[in-house]
Amino acid sequence: MQENENCKNIKASRRDFFKQSSLLAAIALTPSAVINAAQQEWDEKVASAIEEVSVQLDVNGIKHSLSIEPRVTLLDLLREQLHLTGTKKGCDHGQCGACTVHVNGNRINSCMTLAVMQEGKKITTIEGLAKGDKLHPMQEAFIKHDGFQCGYCTPGQIMSAVACIREGHADTEAEIREYMSGNICRCGAYPNIVDAIMEVKKGGKKV
Amino acid sequence: MRQFTYLRPSTSKAAIDALSKDPNAQFIAGGTNLIDLMKKGVMAPEKLVDINNLPLKEIKKQTGNLHIGALALNSDVSENKLVTQYHPLLSLALKAGASAQLRNMATVGGNMLQRTRCFYFYEPSLPCNKREPGSGCGALEGVNRMHAIFGWSDKCIAVHPSDMAIAMVALDASVLVYGPKGNRRIPFQDFHRLPGDTPEKDNSLEKGELVMGVEIPDGPFTKNVHYLKVRDRASYAFALVSVAAALNISGKTIKDARLAMGGVAHKPWRLLDAEKALIGKPATEETFKQAADIAMRGAKGFKYNSFKIPMGKNAILDALKTAAAKV
Amino acid sequence: MWENLFSEGKPGALDRVDGKQKVTGAAKYAAEYNLGNLSHAVLVESTIAKGRIKNIDTKQAERAPGVIGIIHHGNAPKVPGYDTGDNPAKPPTGGEPFRIFQNARVYFAGQPIAVVVADTYERALYAATLVKTEYDKDEHETDVEENKDKANRPKGPRFEDYVRGEANAYKTAPVKVEQEYILPIEVHNPMELHATTVVWEAEDKVKVYDKTQGVKATQKSIMDAFKLKEQNVQVIADFVGGGFGSALRTWPHVIAVILAAKKVNRPVKLVLTRPQMFTMVGYRPYTRQRMGVGATMDGKLVGITHEAISETSTYEEFTEGTVNMSKFMYACPNVNTNYKIVALDKSTPTWMRGPGEATGAWALECAIDELAYALSIDPVQFRIKNYAEMDQQRKLPWSSNFLKECYEKGAEAIGWNKRNPKVRSMREGDWLVGYGMATGTFGAGRGRATAKATLLADGTLLLQSAVSDSGPGTATAMVGIASETLGLSPSKITFDLGDSSLPPGPTQGGSTTTSTLGSAVYDICIALQQKLLEVAAAKEGSFLKDAKFEELSFKDGAISRKTDSAKKISYTEVLKQSNLPQIELTKDSQGGDERSKYSMYSFSVHFVQVHVHSLTGVVRVKKAVTVADAGKIVNKKTAGSQMIGGVVGGIGMALMEEGIFDHRFGRYVNNNLADYHVPVHADVPHVEVLFVDKKDPYTNPMGTKGLGEIAIIGFAPAVANAVYHATGKRIRELPITPDKLI
Repeated sequence: MQENENCKNIKASRRDFFKQSSLLAAIALTPSAVINAAQQEWDEKVASAIEEVSVQLDVNGIKHSLSIEPRVTLLDLLREQLHLTGTKKGCDHGQCGACTVHVNGNRINSCMTLAVMQEGKKITTIEGLAKGDKLHPMQEAFIKHDGFQCGYCTPGQIMSAVACIREGHADTEAEIREYMSGNICRCGAYPNIVDAIMEVKKGGKKV
Repeated sequence: MRQFTYLRPSTSKAAIDALSKDPNAQFIAGGTNLIDLMKKGVMAPEKLVDINNLPLKEIKKQTGNLHIGALALNSDVSENKLVTQYHPLLSLALKAGASAQLRNMATVGGNMLQRTRCFYFYEPSLPCNKREPGSGCGALEGVNRMHAIFGWSDKCIAVHPSDMAIAMVALDASVLVYGPKGNRRIPFQDFHRLPGDTPEKDNSLEKGELVMGVEIPDGPFTKNVHYLKVRDRASYAFALVSVAAALNISGKTIKDARLAMGGVAHKPWRLLDAEKALIGKPATEETFKQAADIAMRGAKGFKYNSFKIPMGKNAILDALKTAAAKV
Repeated sequence: MWENLFSEGKPGALDRVDGKQKVTGAAKYAAEYNLGNLSHAVLVESTIAKGRIKNIDTKQAERAPGVIGIIHHGNAPKVPGYDTGDNPAKPPTGGEPFRIFQNARVYFAGQPIAVVVADTYERALYAATLVKTEYDKDEHETDVEENKDKANRPKGPRFEDYVRGEANAYKTAPVKVEQEYILPIEVHNPMELHATTVVWEAEDKVKVYDKTQGVKATQKSIMDAFKLKEQNVQVIADFVGGGFGSALRTWPHVIAVILAAKKVNRPVKLVLTRPQMFTMVGYRPYTRQRMGVGATMDGKLVGITHEAISETSTYEEFTEGTVNMSKFMYACPNVNTNYKIVALDKSTPTWMRGPGEATGAWALECAIDELAYALSIDPVQFRIKNYAEMDQQRKLPWSSNFLKECYEKGAEAIGWNKRNPKVRSMREGDWLVGYGMATGTFGAGRGRATAKATLLADGTLLLQSAVSDSGPGTATAMVGIASETLGLSPSKITFDLGDSSLPPGPTQGGSTTTSTLGSAVYDICIALQQKLLEVAAAKEGSFLKDAKFEELSFKDGAISRKTDSAKKISYTEVLKQSNLPQIELTKDSQGGDERSKYSMYSFSVHFVQVHVHSLTGVVRVKKAVTVADAGKIVNKKTAGSQMIGGVVGGIGMALMEEGIFDHRFGRYVNNNLADYHVPVHADVPHVEVLFVDKKDPYTNPMGTKGLGEIAIIGFAPAVANAVYHATGKRIRELPITPDKLI
């Protein structure tokens, strides 16, 4: 019973949505195939299977034209579709920071945003930090100070560390510790990471 | 997460139209709470209305108040010069919340609308009256270490998790709302609700209403302020208890005072009686202790959270001492 | 050899050989292989803690978009290894493993009861929510405290009650302490979620990318489960994102995803969710310990009694060495221990960093501290006074023991003697200041390993062994050992690991990898030198003709006589003049009978300074000094990081980590990283690491003793002892959260 009702609701709401959408000064990112599906009350499976939206994303300076389900998070898009696996999944709920990337230069948790919401923004992942073979100063400092062990939280730590300096939150060790607290490292490389950030900050190079 | 349709309107009118006509639609801004809840299956909207294109990011000084747009990011607000100049308490509270990354995503509107972190609410296969009215309160006789000591009901003992909201309520802010019936202004104090018999309703927003921003009236609390957050680790954790304290001290006398607590109730908990006990008194530890005693009157804890009563008292004392000591 | 290991450019100060891969995102973990036609698996979990599945309805889920298959006990193919006595996912210590999807029984809440496979992750995740399960529910028991009367002594001689001298002799001592100490459940929570990617390459041939601390052990488990030949099971773990014990065994969900890949006939990837990391890959069990310690007025120990009650699942018997340290650590004529476990409706615990020894040290080292205060003797002096000149349990000499030096070094570094020893005497504003210390120890083991060495004509060396590295830096250490032993620049050496098809290496656990594998690397480098000599000497007119191995020096990639370093021949030249493209050797390596003659342990001493807020009860570790007697240190940089990591884990254990159950439901109510707190940057001060760095003469050729475990063992009691010094309050139940100090 419940299952049928669910189906009905989904269909009803889809029709409802398309009726409204003409009234809206809205960008409805829904392909025409879905409109057809909804209007013709196709079986849920058919309709949903094609329920993707097209998105243009700029990742590490490369423009990607993609067709994705709206529910795909930026993190899963990076890892599963673009195969940029440097961005890590550690909790999938904004609780660990392993998925930290830059969006328009600001650090965010890519697990807590939908890819479709990032249209038109510049996304930088760990893969986009080095310039060719030349490591970013933060990457070099992490190696020098052994700012990691297993390496899994490392891309997130590095992306966060770069942002931490850019934001102006790396003046003291205590400030770095506070502003890096959104990046959990279970191996416990924290003191070495702080040393790495301090060195880059003191080095004064533009990050 | 179930499939949903997604749209991104560019005007507030279009946004509320899109929402109000659809019983199972939600606004999304930063997404840091809604996406979390959708992943857990606690919320399952069929339509997401992305409001990030609406022009609601501005922070501006107006006559008599500071206006902060609903889409202003927590990080931007916390660093904003007008905020640190006129309402440093708000800046401190925001910085105490979440992590740098989340503050870069979370908006002012989203922050106040975030839902409780009660584990029973977050886990769909456990009872929770807030998530599923009538299913019972899992926390009442469960693990309730993080739960309310003020204003709870036998239907719900959850707390509101926001830090920002504690400062907002202390600063007498108002929430500006736009909806199908037009504009209205809700005092921050009345924005969040106590659970009563309807814990499923967190706040006094009506269906289709959109938070446009907040206004904080100008006040004298520009120096002797402190936001103290007591938690299980040094950062990136929800409060056991938190205290927003603001004093206006002239000479040695407290001219005006604001006090509110977080982590203790279903809403930001303003301590009006304790404020009264501070005003006109000398800014001494003795005065602060008396205020703290008054503040915790009526608090009632449960099996695992009764510690919040003495802790709350001490935290108020600490926050007031720290605020008073600022030069 | 091994003299100036840490000077600049020397192997003992090497940066990690895999550092660049880790900082650029190029390092690939188990879920990160881009395989064609990959499908995604999501596990459905039981919501009850005990009972049977009455009905599992997958109709709606099957109709969901993208679903390829749903497997559960009602339709799962048989796992052939489950039907025989040969145990596939062999339990660590005893009992019968949980046979995933083979019957309707529910043993614990969060048990995987079905797996949904779909074409995308999102679709699998959604479809999994549509699987509806009905249960016949039984009453469950998940609380140790409610069930401690049902605890039993595990089978086997290791767990028999131990008595030396007289039992409970502490009671007769003039000064005694009798207390109970509780350690809650702790969860490993490595940052990488456990993940498995499976490709069946043929009907009887499978390739598995898995998060495992032992590629060979996982290979064996899979071979046993699916009755496959060794050469037909390949397990890959190029990089492992932490483990701390959680990846020491092959868990049932790994078998499930292999099963699923077979059934859907497509590559399948499974990534556990963070909540699943609490129920599917083990945890450190809740343990209640009773300590009785007594001493004479002048501070000589009279008796130690150590009793522990811990937990296991109903289907497996998990045990660990909780009471072991008490048996040998201190010079004490009378010691008795007792260890029991109670079977509960939970998943099986597993070893977590420092395993039972860390649990045991929490009780022993707090009790010793309490006794020192009761005697008004400095806790450091009290320990030195009762220093054991030999292993008290086995009556064997130590292979090496520099504990006294550790106490001295640590005390000096933290300023121990400058503190006011009086309790609650030190203050900084509203913060109470306290100092505390404690000792840790763990066996210095060495297992068996095979290494393969290939010296190429271009002078580069490839070393290979089937180990995996969950973070300590195994490849870096091995390159260091090879460089120092063979006399070849580290830049010319590569160490290959993470593949079960390489020569068999050990599982990375129990602080033994460097000792075990390092010995194999050492041995093969020596063998390589001998082979080089043999080849070189065979050449007509060689200056090495008739040279004895002991007379030679192997340095900077060349052989010379020790007496005449000017005359030398490079390794490349040796190969070239004999027209050899390479020299390839494989060697198995293990220790001799030294273990029966000496007692081998690593030791650590941790010193901390804490601040405790007098109003809010908040505790901050402000300074930490950690000193290790871990034998020779192969790489000071990576070893230092490992010690710091132990301190960070110890801060978690001391101040915040606790897996919390709601026993009404038999379920965790904090199975995520927001509610289960692990330390963040702001919790961790600068940590000073000191090494004794003295070669142990007996453990293995390098003289290493291992340090992964001792890094954490003893840290939590050091914090608790410091909190006592600061506040006068003894907290005997971890973690020391602010509410306990209000």
